[in-house]
Amino acid sequence: MTRLVIFDYGAGNLHSLAKAIAADGRNVTVETDLRVAMQADCLVLPGVGAFGAAASAMHGGQADLRAALSDGLPCLGICLGMQLLFDASEESPGRGVGLIPGKVTRLRTPKVPHMGWNDIEWRESGNGQNRASLGSAYFANAYICEPEDESPILAWTTHQDARFASMVRSANTVGVQFHPEKSSFAGRAFVNAVIEDLIECR
Amino acid sequence: MLTNRIIACLDVMDGRVVKGTGFVNLRDAGDPVVLAERYEAQGADEIVYLDIAATGEGRGTLLDLVRRTAERLFIPLTVGGGMRTVDDIANALRAGADKTAVNSAAVRHPNLLTHAASRFGSQCVVASIDALRRGESWEVYVDGGRQPTGLDAIEWAKRCAELGAGEILLTSIDRDGARSGYDIELLSAVAAAVTVPVVASGGAGSARDVVDAFVRGGADAALLAGILHDATTDIRSLKSALQAASIPVRTAA
Repeated sequence: MTRLVIFDYGAGNLHSLAKAIAADGRNVTVETDLRVAMQADCLVLPGVGAFGAAASAMHGGQADLRAALSDGLPCLGICLGMQLLFDASEESPGRGVGLIPGKVTRLRTPKVPHMGWNDIEWRESGNGQNRASLGSAYFANAYICEPEDESPILAWTTHQDARFASMVRSANTVGVQFHPEKSSFAGRAFVNAVIEDLIECR
Repeated sequence: MLTNRIIACLDVMDGRVVKGTGFVNLRDAGDPVVLAERYEAQGADEIVYLDIAATGEGRGTLLDLVRRTAERLFIPLTVGGGMRTVDDIANALRAGADKTAVNSAAVRHPNLLTHAASRFGSQCVVASIDALRRGESWEVYVDGGRQPTGLDAIEWAKRCAELGAGEILLTSIDRDGARSGYDIELLSAVAAAVTVPVVASGGAGSARDVVDAFVRGGADAALLAGILHDATTDIRSLKSALQAASIPVRTAA
């Protein structure tokens, strides 16, 4: 039985995410203690809440998590969960995990938040390209990730005059700025294929 | 590019879908979960549940409905109606809603928008505004469109966005259920005044009306209810019509 653990920052909807990644042979649980959550076969950092509150909920576990992720612990970060992989955010004070060097900045476009379905522009030569692909997905973000260099970026998305990383990978950790669990049938197939891929790569 | 969204709205009461005209004359229109799944399969971009009874004793029924829906629906779900406190919002999100629509309580306690946005993120907080035309302007009404507030709808929309709302759900009370088209003047005035996305609501009678909401009204999304529930049109043919009018839409896989 593969153990998937969703880390609960105490913010929002984890119910439909748990359902979206449930499958035969998987045990999906929700955990508020980061150190317990890190015992999973695949850790999921969900996408609802504010950066500062989620960082506080890690109770200083950032460095341990960074070490575990660098060591190959499979992890999927969705939206805010992707942003937490970086060092810090303009949204609120608090330390990110720092797995991917870079920061999270406010989307500076005429229309914010970036809300709705948008295209995923796959990078041709992305390293560790997942088998899964996705044409478009649902986004709901006012902040974007800015990696210090482009090597972790697997896909981009464009909103008005901004182009930002919509999928990154480092070791066995993937971050997606969109919500695959809210992107209907194709999104569910995608997120499940990504999780399979991460676990197999371990 | 970001596509224009089609949102199927289900007015719910006691766990069933209802739809009225001008906020009254309710007709039973089916099981919410079955309808929501059907709309997802047809290519709906989002689903909204508006609890129109919104009484204290009905809360448990609504949250149970949200829970049942979230287990089977994999597009965003917004829940509105009777959201009075941050705890009401927390409970709806916990049950499986992705966003909550706040209406009367935001007028009475504007800080509710700010508190909810700082705790859950502004993308979870939709300011729902019911507006009635008063000559050259529009007045905000609360309590299901029954209670005037003296607030100007355009000014109130701006304030909601400043307070932390991540989206405006703008309903024309005059047009609601009338199928004579969205109130394009109201829509374009609000869309020009705020930087957050605006959802057009009230009045859709045909694909042409939806095209107008995007092209002339500047809406980011259009909310539809009655004409979907009674099969006057369906989302697939609606999206074909939008594509034909060069409006970017997501075509379902």
